[in-house]
Amino acid sequence: MILLHVLRRHWLLAAVSLTAAVFSFDALWIPVKAELAQHLLERAWLRTLAGEPDAKPWPWADTRAVAILEVPRLGLHEIVLEGSSGRNLAFGPTLVNTSAIERSSDLVLSGHRDTHFSFLKELKTGDVLRLRTVTEIRDYRISRQEAVDSRGQQLAIDDRVDRLTLLTCYPFEAALPGGSMRWVVTALPES
Amino acid sequence: MLVLIAVLLVLFVIRTEVAIADEQEWGLQMKSASGVFTELAINTDIQLDITGLVARVEITQQFTNHGAHWAEGVYRFPLPTGAAVDRMQIKVGDRLLEGEIQEKESARQTYQTARDAGQTATIVEQQRRNQFETRLANIGPGEVIEITIGYLQNVSYSDFSYHLRLPMTFTPRWEPGGLSTSELALASDTSPAPQVVARDSGTGHRLTLQARLVSAAKFAAIESRYHDVDIRQVDNGYTIELLNADELSDRDFELNWTPALQSRPSVSLNTYNDGESVYAQLMLAPPLSDSIDPQAREVILVIDTSGSMEGASLVQAKAALSHALNSLGADDYFNLLQFNSNTEQLFDQSVPVTQSSVYVAQNFITGLHANGGTDMAPALKSALSLPEIPQLMRQVVFITDGAVGNETELLQKVAQDLGNSRMFTVAIGSAPNSWFMRKAAEIGRGSYVNIGKPEEVAEQMSALWGRIQLPALTDICVEWGDAAEYYPEIVPDLYAGEPLWLLARLPSEPTMIGLCGQLNGLDWNLNINGWDAASSGPGEDNLAKLWARKKIEALEDGLMFGADPELTRLEITGLALDYGLLTRYTSLVAVDKTPRRAVAEALASTDIPGLLPAGSSTQLAGYPKTASGWLTQLLLSLFVLLLATSMLLFSGNRLPMTKPS
Repeated sequence: MILLHVLRRHWLLAAVSLTAAVFSFDALWIPVKAELAQHLLERAWLRTLAGEPDAKPWPWADTRAVAILEVPRLGLHEIVLEGSSGRNLAFGPTLVNTSAIERSSDLVLSGHRDTHFSFLKELKTGDVLRLRTVTEIRDYRISRQEAVDSRGQQLAIDDRVDRLTLLTCYPFEAALPGGSMRWVVTALPES
Repeated sequence: MLVLIAVLLVLFVIRTEVAIADEQEWGLQMKSASGVFTELAINTDIQLDITGLVARVEITQQFTNHGAHWAEGVYRFPLPTGAAVDRMQIKVGDRLLEGEIQEKESARQTYQTARDAGQTATIVEQQRRNQFETRLANIGPGEVIEITIGYLQNVSYSDFSYHLRLPMTFTPRWEPGGLSTSELALASDTSPAPQVVARDSGTGHRLTLQARLVSAAKFAAIESRYHDVDIRQVDNGYTIELLNADELSDRDFELNWTPALQSRPSVSLNTYNDGESVYAQLMLAPPLSDSIDPQAREVILVIDTSGSMEGASLVQAKAALSHALNSLGADDYFNLLQFNSNTEQLFDQSVPVTQSSVYVAQNFITGLHANGGTDMAPALKSALSLPEIPQLMRQVVFITDGAVGNETELLQKVAQDLGNSRMFTVAIGSAPNSWFMRKAAEIGRGSYVNIGKPEEVAEQMSALWGRIQLPALTDICVEWGDAAEYYPEIVPDLYAGEPLWLLARLPSEPTMIGLCGQLNGLDWNLNINGWDAASSGPGEDNLAKLWARKKIEALEDGLMFGADPELTRLEITGLALDYGLLTRYTSLVAVDKTPRRAVAEALASTDIPGLLPAGSSTQLAGYPKTASGWLTQLLLSLFVLLLATSMLLFSGNRLPMTKPS
């Protein structure tokens, strides 16, 4: 009874609380979804390895798992998706290349700086990155890390070069998304 | 309280921001992203020479080796689709070298030998349909090199205006010294920057452009769409120059010119006789739209609603679809199909345009949302196999941003089931399937539109509705009176504002060319007297080259239909050498005979990995948006939540006291 009365008198405050609660859940849903999707992807990946081509992680998926990215030093293990649309980025790191991973040697992966690619800030030059595709395991060693401004340049993917590039937004702790800076980690094959 | 609401508003803004960041489709594919600045302090000069329907374009770019060592450089540049590249010239100091066409392998040999011998050399290779790569060897420290690339391009004509568009936004990428993987592996932080990093993001880039428009007739209007220009009338036409020499080449150059009313061409025939064969270009302008009676049509709209369409693509496509419904005539029939992992068809068979059918369809459109995969084939098949409405021309408009796997099979399906249908394809985004879409429209006797940016979908599709509403001349046949090889092989219909455009090779001068077709539902005939042809003089072999370019394109397309690759390669190489054209099998190469770098002195890029193996490619992509911003949103929301609830509780405690009695 009292509660009802409070709500009637302070409806504005109540509305604000409710909206804030909705926003909180909405925000929390992003990392939860990011984590959840990786589990579903893991299962799809196993199916892919078992020989099912284009195994879909969920029935309505418009993408597929193409590789696993591992950082042995950090114990990191993430499934990489094909196609860097905003939608795919919510589920995992994505392959920017438009040709199939098997036919590409200059690979570029991108991920959200505050979900799947937050580990990029912990990487050191010299760290080993491991990429498992359906057919092979490729090891790379980080040779260079730097911040670039995406406004003045484009990304050149050149398949004459054997290379793995990881991309994410920069700075890592920026409060607002949408900045123009990118963090670029370049790794070259271990030979 | 106000503060809380303000924070809530900020939150809302952030949320939208997150959504936008997510939506930027930035396609990461080899989009010729606009709004990109060049990284390199080079100057570009463009000379345009336009005579009739043919433009000769010469692009000259200057490069400087800023380093202290001899260098080899690579840069890539875009050209309009269908351009016939036939010239390359390099200027080093006061020496001028003319490039020659050689078979690709032998051109590489020539280049590599010259490079290793310390001679200045250049090679231009085709990488994909409209992308080319130039390599330059032995540029001395501080030296300036000038490269000129020349090509021919057809001017386009629609809505009584001529248009010419030069792509410029595809930033040329200069990699002094190339990229050496072994070097990168050796020294991590002192190594040359990988390609993702800009070199000189200087502003020293200058673009100059001069165009010459040769014409006896006066033009009602000449305009440049994106650049300020100075236009002068001269003896034999006009000259056009860029006003600001410092224009950054961050946007395409487009020139439009409109003939005065009385000099609008209805038919134009140009020929060129090289002694062996005669090359003819025939343009037939469409009848004026007010002389065309609208014909009743059956319009079938097929829309891709797979996950990748989410965002601006689908929002705009929905607007365009509902616009399409409104532009239907009272006698028209229509149907709607959507496809993702499944295909959904609105009506079992096409229905007449009535208030209720349009209402149902508008609801269907409003309810569309993007989800699921892209399974194109069943949708295409259902659209083509709908029961036909007698007497009506069927127009199938196919809208997608996805790729297909079984292209050949689908094209055969289109060819087989087309019947009285016309196929219009609309590709959204950088369209990995543009070859398929273009070909499907060609076989389907319709037209193909590629919409680069999702934000342009509504505008460009509305233009398409306007065009296909008025089929001016249909079922066109051409009788050259001789064994002619002409392109396009399948003559498309003419729509109001669009011309018919054919290039042919004939054994001798044509005496009479007969055209037939259907105009306003009646038989239509037109004979063109060969004597009326305007012939170009000796040495002006532009028409021959453009024809050969078309033939090469047709041969390349044949590969997709199972033509023998080896035979095709031989045939294209033969044509390319005969007509002096750059193709995927032939390259332009130029070598300065005098060695300039002492072989002992290292060329900075001697360990560049060999030249491009056939079939590999380079793509340019934008940078993805990679922040979701969830943490900021969460913290702010929690803060508001905490404050608001505590205020609620606090006021609840005080309730009895504040209550007035």
